[in-house]
Amino acid sequence: MPHKNFPFTRRSFLKTSLAAAAGAAALPIKTYAFSPAQTTTYTRYNVMSEGGKKALQSYATGIQAMLNKHPDDPQNWFRNAFVHLMDCPHGNWWFYVWHRGYVGFFEETIRNLSNDPTFAMPYWDWTAQPYIPDSMFDGVRTPTYVASYDTYIHNLDVFTAKFRPSLEAYWASLSAAQRSQLNVRGYSTFQDMWNDVTGNGDPGNEAFATTANARYLSRTNPKLDPATAQDCSAEIIKAGLQPTDYYNQNVSLSFTSSKTPSHMTPPGPNTQFSTIEGLPHNKVHNCIGGVGPLGPGPYGYMTNFLSPVDPIFFLHHANIDRLWVSWTTKQQQQGYPILPSGSELAQLSDEQFLFYVRGDGQFVGPSRAADYLSTDRFHYQYEPGFGDNLQTSNARQKRVKTQVKGVVKANRATLTVPSNAVREHLAPQATALVAEVTVPHPSTGSQTREFHVLVGAPEGVTQADPTSPFFAGTVAFFGNMSHHAAGGDATFAVPLPKAPQAFKGLATTNATIEIRIVPANGGTQQPPLLKRATIRAL
Amino acid sequence: MLFATLISFALLVQTAGAPGRVVNLVLPRSLTAAEGVAVELKLGVLERGNEIEVKTMSGKLLGVISPYGIRSGEEAGTYTVPVPPELVANKRLSLRIILDQHSRGKRAPTNKELRGVRLQITPNH
Repeated sequence: MPHKNFPFTRRSFLKTSLAAAAGAAALPIKTYAFSPAQTTTYTRYNVMSEGGKKALQSYATGIQAMLNKHPDDPQNWFRNAFVHLMDCPHGNWWFYVWHRGYVGFFEETIRNLSNDPTFAMPYWDWTAQPYIPDSMFDGVRTPTYVASYDTYIHNLDVFTAKFRPSLEAYWASLSAAQRSQLNVRGYSTFQDMWNDVTGNGDPGNEAFATTANARYLSRTNPKLDPATAQDCSAEIIKAGLQPTDYYNQNVSLSFTSSKTPSHMTPPGPNTQFSTIEGLPHNKVHNCIGGVGPLGPGPYGYMTNFLSPVDPIFFLHHANIDRLWVSWTTKQQQQGYPILPSGSELAQLSDEQFLFYVRGDGQFVGPSRAADYLSTDRFHYQYEPGFGDNLQTSNARQKRVKTQVKGVVKANRATLTVPSNAVREHLAPQATALVAEVTVPHPSTGSQTREFHVLVGAPEGVTQADPTSPFFAGTVAFFGNMSHHAAGGDATFAVPLPKAPQAFKGLATTNATIEIRIVPANGGTQQPPLLKRATIRAL
Repeated sequence: MLFATLISFALLVQTAGAPGRVVNLVLPRSLTAAEGVAVELKLGVLERGNEIEVKTMSGKLLGVISPYGIRSGEEAGTYTVPVPPELVANKRLSLRIILDQHSRGKRAPTNKELRGVRLQITPNH
């Protein structure tokens, strides 16, 4: 079940639930036009769409405004990239949620500085367009644009002179909590952090890049290489959206990467990368930065942790975030949880994110991962793209996320369930449909304490054993009946039979299920009257 | 150790000719129609910029692992690459794992670079 206190996309949840209830088939994304919902303030458009192209104009205005900011200003373009270098999680289950906050606050900054109150970050759907959009090679949208960038990144000495003093002052102002987190990251001193800017002798680890080297892909060579295109391919993305657990210790069954003590925990030997983070996310970064052709480095910005210096970063991560939204919607459609539960949810939610900068240039201050687990904080939705509404032919019909209650009359419950759900239930090794039957405790002194649950049994059938296609199971009361309070009810969960004879109307949209209970072992005593019956999927 | 037992599923063979290491993997049971399969690779320390290609024996590229955010000298972690289920025959799958050093060519990863491989059955949802 979705977390009850989680307001994520109520609108889309309602829409998809209704679609499922009507038995609607999954719609290929390209077959319907997109109309922004009236309840969402901002729409993140595909960069190739008209909305996306319009957003790019404001994006350029905002980038230039950030470039114009003094290095002491947290909204300076490069200072904003240092938030990523100092704080970004990779290889752990905060990867999605931290980047949602980072992109969200950045989006507010661009909205503010571009004076475009409608601005929302466009996304780059690299599955559909495995090349950098041509418009991202124009002006300030590429970090190779000398007129705007060279004054900062002509070479490392220039960059150091511009930014090191400001960053040292910022470092000195950090709170104890921030410093503690940075220690976990491996940045015990300012120099530790700065070593990742310079590479400290390892050109491959140099986060800084000169203007000329800032981005490897170019207007004349915009395509993702075949290996990267494969990692962004439909089959990889579909597989990445398949897991039904937000986190599972088995990485192939997990939507997110490893669970770690802190979002600052660096990846190491025990890190497990989920499909979407480990393949398309990583490979797009490295392809654009020139891993391979520029080996052994230095690489363009996208390859290391100053990657947000390249404006394509935010389109890339908007797409990653969009895929999280797609996965969440799929989970809701199919009745699976969208977050962990219990102590795991608390662990995920309570993680402190301490380095964000708001759209007005002020530091956000302490915030929690919980603040960004939904899209509500930033009030946006996505124009549809690849990965939305994907359902495999084997996907469960989401019927039973809302329970199906039966009508009970004369000890017989009648329930209507989508036939697709029953057919899936009948498949080998499929997740079971389960009947929850509620009956009162037998009266004191009753000699019959066990009852069979029959499903779809013909009228005259009053007995069945496990070999019968109508036999669902036996419910039994244990112990001295006098210990039970008079009038108390008991509910039992009984898997439905795996026999088509037990179901009526399978050839139509909805199947009918009739449930009765009878005394077990040939007992002659009347069974307690069936009070309620509900069907759920496990 | 997560992969200590898993490696037993994989028979790693370095072959002459095509670069890379051939990995013969066996599923514990047959796949159902409602299941897919993924190959999980546990990597050791890779030189910066090196990548791991996962290919079928016929040369089809299934995925490329390109570590990002890994500190120099640190092991790269575990990655999962989806495999089309039709490639599994009689519960068996052979893959070629290649270390791409780019300008320095391609070769089979060493045992320190590729620490383990296993197949994982994944439900389709």
